[in-house]
Amino acid sequence: MSFFNGLFGRKRDSSAELAKQRLLTVLIDDRYKLTPEMMAQLKADLAEVLQRYLPAIDAEQIEVTLSRGEAHDLLKADVPLRRAAEPPSKR
Amino acid sequence: MDGKRLSVSGVIMGRVITVTSGKGGVGKTTTTANLGTALAMRGARVAVVDADIGLRNLDVVMGLENRIVYDLVDVVEGRARLRQALIKDKRLPELCLLPAAQTRDKDAVNAQQMIDLTQQLRAEFDFVLIDSPAGIEAGFRNAIAGADEVIIVTTPEVSAVRDADRIVGLIEAAEKGPASLIINRIKPRLVSRGEMLSVEDVLELLAISLLGIVPEDETIVIATNRGEAAVYDPNSLAGRAYINIAQRLAGEDVPVMAIPDQQGVLDRLLSLFGRRRT
Repeated sequence: MSFFNGLFGRKRDSSAELAKQRLLTVLIDDRYKLTPEMMAQLKADLAEVLQRYLPAIDAEQIEVTLSRGEAHDLLKADVPLRRAAEPPSKR
Repeated sequence: MDGKRLSVSGVIMGRVITVTSGKGGVGKTTTTANLGTALAMRGARVAVVDADIGLRNLDVVMGLENRIVYDLVDVVEGRARLRQALIKDKRLPELCLLPAAQTRDKDAVNAQQMIDLTQQLRAEFDFVLIDSPAGIEAGFRNAIAGADEVIIVTTPEVSAVRDADRIVGLIEAAEKGPASLIINRIKPRLVSRGEMLSVEDVLELLAISLLGIVPEDETIVIATNRGEAAVYDPNSLAGRAYINIAQRLAGEDVPVMAIPDQQGVLDRLLSLFGRRRT
């Protein structure tokens, strides 16, 4: 089993992976007082603002993550855009 | 991290390093005892200080509990001179313990008194290792007050890592950082099965530099029972890990020791015959 984990990366449902994800949430809450509810609200607000400029945004697919660095932490938003079937016609 | 600093009069002053964790029971005292012993085995003059006032423990881990006459609070309150209170190790004459008071509480000393004490100690020793109490309150603040460097000990468990993160923040706020990390009680087989946070996971979560890693090892229990540091036992994997950490702490350019993932072939053969090496 560990052989396959080593080859294909850790299984997403391993208890260590779960521990890491839970800790990430808890540490963000501890450090920034940003609860999971607030994070969800942040995502919704972000989607709303971005959609004013980019209607192709898939609000459901937005992923906001906080990653930790030595000098500072990083708030990162991954915003997937639906690829249009045809490019918008030029005026 | 060359560690030699000069006082105003040009005397070489030692480094004051506090070992802390936030959560209790992750191995601060064992770490302090083993690093102190390992550094003294290299020929350094080392003082280990038990700053856990009221919950004295470093003395029993080092097997020096029968030799205590005076303690840290006696020195701070002027009932004893530092030299009277320092207890020489049984084997290493350059290793000394300053025990905590057992009958007082953490309010018996304040931060300024701890700074004054560490100033006295650093004039006499190359390394002053302070064993901090658990928690984030006065005892912890006193323990880091005189520190040049802070080592955070954690285990790969959610509660210990969470508390370590609080400590990282407090050390930054106290301008004692950046702290370095020791990850203790790693179980390599559990990590390889994906059932324990890996060294990489913990480093990613805490984002501080790694000083060393120590495997879960029953020789620590045995060494503690005997009141002898595990670094004396050449068969102790944890002891070897602490020697590696002491080398790195002393500024040697050696990599973090790798922990063997599996039992070696020889170990398996020995265990077939009912013998174990570790």
